[in-house]
Amino acid sequence: MKNFKFATTLTICAAVLLSGCAQNTDAVTPAGASEQVQSTQAENLRTNETWAKAAEKGMSAAFGTLHNAGESKLELERVTDLSANTVIEIHDTEGQGTKAAMKQHEGALLINPGEDVVLAPGGTHFMFMDLKSPLVASQTSTLQLEFSDGSKTQVQFPIRNFSGANESYHGSADEHEDHGSH
Amino acid sequence: MTSANLHPSRRVILGGSAAAALGGVFAGFGVGRATADEIPEALAVENPHTQFAAFHGKYQAGILTEPQAHAVFLGSNVHFDGLKKSERIEKIRSILQMLSSDIERLVSGRGVLADTEPEMSHAAAQLTVTVGLGPVILDLLGQSAAEVGALPPFTGEKLDPRYGQSDLIIQCCAQDPTVLHHAVRALRKNLRGITEELFTQTGFTHAAQTVREGQGFRNLFGQLDGTNNPTGQARELAVFGDDQDPSWSPAGTVLVLRRIEMNLDKWDEVDRTGRDFALGRRQSDGSPLSGDSLSDPVDLQAVNAMGLPAIAAHAHVARAKPSSGAEVLWRRGYNYHAENGSGLIFASYQRDPRTSFIPVQQRLAQLDALNEWTTHVGSAIYAILPGVREGEYLGEFLFTAST
Repeated sequence: MKNFKFATTLTICAAVLLSGCAQNTDAVTPAGASEQVQSTQAENLRTNETWAKAAEKGMSAAFGTLHNAGESKLELERVTDLSANTVIEIHDTEGQGTKAAMKQHEGALLINPGEDVVLAPGGTHFMFMDLKSPLVASQTSTLQLEFSDGSKTQVQFPIRNFSGANESYHGSADEHEDHGSH
Repeated sequence: MTSANLHPSRRVILGGSAAAALGGVFAGFGVGRATADEIPEALAVENPHTQFAAFHGKYQAGILTEPQAHAVFLGSNVHFDGLKKSERIEKIRSILQMLSSDIERLVSGRGVLADTEPEMSHAAAQLTVTVGLGPVILDLLGQSAAEVGALPPFTGEKLDPRYGQSDLIIQCCAQDPTVLHHAVRALRKNLRGITEELFTQTGFTHAAQTVREGQGFRNLFGQLDGTNNPTGQARELAVFGDDQDPSWSPAGTVLVLRRIEMNLDKWDEVDRTGRDFALGRRQSDGSPLSGDSLSDPVDLQAVNAMGLPAIAAHAHVARAKPSSGAEVLWRRGYNYHAENGSGLIFASYQRDPRTSFIPVQQRLAQLDALNEWTTHVGSAIYAILPGVREGEYLGEFLFTAST
């Protein structure tokens, strides 16, 4: 089991540049060292396959897999856009197909020890509410994830063109910019 | 079970990446899949055509290896309007970073990030994606485009700008056309909005294993093409050079891409003797008219029973024959058949076209019996980037030097 974790850590380190995984260098702390100091929630986060949907303006979203490599739960409370300062909310999608609708996630996003939360089109995701600058394919959006213990980590989301993830947002009425005509 | 039926689980992919991170234990093939406990059956089969090509290495993949059955050459221009020089450079950098990520994933059987059809990349079909830069981009990055060598005009060519020089070239090759076209679409989708496509040239040779490896392919005139191509170390030397005669960058090379239209209807009118005479080799088995078998050398001094030169002075092989080692180039061409014509996508890799492709092509343009049936309609030249190690992106060294 320990070997598997060790391998996973290596995967993340090696993939940082190309796949945009978590940039927290603390993540490479050897397994033995973490027993002396209680690791923070941010240190226990592993990310994989992270990406954000390219968009000129309005709303967009970020996706990927968040993994809890620690022994206690992770509570993700806040996501901040360090690249452009766009407001980001954690959203869930309910229903399917044309009936799919998003709403803000209630409370912190919980990741149980050893488990994944997959952020995906049609599911839970990070929502860019009103882009302050365009998300351009080939560039990278850096988001800061803040947890309930006050710890933070930065995660790279490479931006890619994607035509899906067009679920309408059933939040407050004034946020319907992209779907205003219907 | 064939590799085409494999559906790698997420765990397998994670394991594969970990294996790669541990120093390329499985370097060479199957990096995206191989784990100690889950080696797909396909990997146990020693068939290079049904394996994954490696992304990391000294050289980019898709250059030295025998051509796969199918190819797409994607030429695109970068949108630079209104950008300052530093922003242009940054744009190229981000494109190369994205391409590196996309290629690494595709060649190991994973879709790209945000791929809506990643399943189409699962079959191991020796997919390679090779990236090069046009002269404008080289200049922008502070590299001397002169070292790559601009192509001069050649007699007789009728160049169509739609097959002309582009900022970027992406050569995609695979043994399987479906895998190939998924990769092409995935790459194009991500380039949409940041580049504009100039051309997509699709080519083919033979389905894998229908011809003997290393013996070239039949072009659309029926001729064995690539007969005298260099092999082994000679090929590597011709393509990448050495310390004394380097290419534009260590482990880099130059691609010359020409689109040669072939008039098949007119060629139909030529009888077998006329065809062999024009080429200087026999269409039947590729043997030179100065010998009996394919491996016999092209001997321009040889005479026939009547005392005349066995190979005419203006036969294609007589004119194309390298006059020195410096003229040797590695041809990795493909047939094409398009709505507007048929012919050859001539793709040659050489360390320096100024000493190889250019003098050879000047000779051929001047005089070559085959010119009666062929017309060069496309022409472009690219600096092909060196290979990269784990964690690097293609062309990374260009940015540490220029910024």
